[in-house]
Amino acid sequence: MTAGTATFSVEVGKHLPGVSSALRPAPLDELRHWGGEALVRGKRVLDLGCGDGRFAIGVAPFATAVEGLDPDPDAIAAAKQAARKAGRRNLHFAVGAAQRLPYPDGAFDVVILSWTL
Amino acid sequence: MVDALREVHRVLVPCGILIDARPDSRVHAYVERRRGRGFQRFGVVRTNSTELKNDRASDRAIARLVADGFFTRRRRGRFWHRVGFDTLAEVRRYLWEHLRFVRRAEWVVDAATRRHHADDQFVVRRPVRHEILEANQELGLRRLSKLRR
Repeated sequence: MTAGTATFSVEVGKHLPGVSSALRPAPLDELRHWGGEALVRGKRVLDLGCGDGRFAIGVAPFATAVEGLDPDPDAIAAAKQAARKAGRRNLHFAVGAAQRLPYPDGAFDVVILSWTL
Repeated sequence: MVDALREVHRVLVPCGILIDARPDSRVHAYVERRRGRGFQRFGVVRTNSTELKNDRASDRAIARLVADGFFTRRRRGRFWHRVGFDTLAEVRRYLWEHLRFVRRAEWVVDAATRRHHADDQFVVRRPVRHEILEANQELGLRRLSKLRR
């Protein structure tokens, strides 16, 4: 883990409940452990169970397009707001269930289940 | 869960990548006190039984999709994630509120040591695992070959 992430965690750990996604590893930290940004660079990515969009927003600078899907409308609203704030145009979020994905066959190069299964 | 993973296979291109990352309940988390540049172990934190069952169900779903030929396992790994706290009381509150862990740590230091260091900085160090799977192009061939045997 990087010093930056450790500092971030120390700052938020005392303010937020244990269920908050802010207490998870930073997206780029997690991506680095999986094999680095090459996994998503220039790819069409689906973040399934994206929650508040934490991970989708983190990988958006590398990917061609990122879709986030979550069954919780409140989480998707927060994700859309965060995406607007981040100024990313290759990010889209939708409410939906994993059992019936609203995408055509072969729509993605990478599907991420980050703390979802 | 199996249905969802089949849907994932459908929306992936052939040889597309599925990344499954989640807390690793097969390994305990730890409460540690910051000590200089290192850490001193104060307690062990177990995952609660409901989450253990959920994790095993997820493992079985992945294993089934692999056995049915939807995906091939490529690689896996684990890393440790540290969440920091300013006092031991904050660690206790975090564990009490956490949906995944049992509510109390099993302390490996005595009560006097805990009291003495109650206002020190602590971390909860938890394992996070990941697995990279590749979507198989020739879906169902493995199942078909099993039937022919």
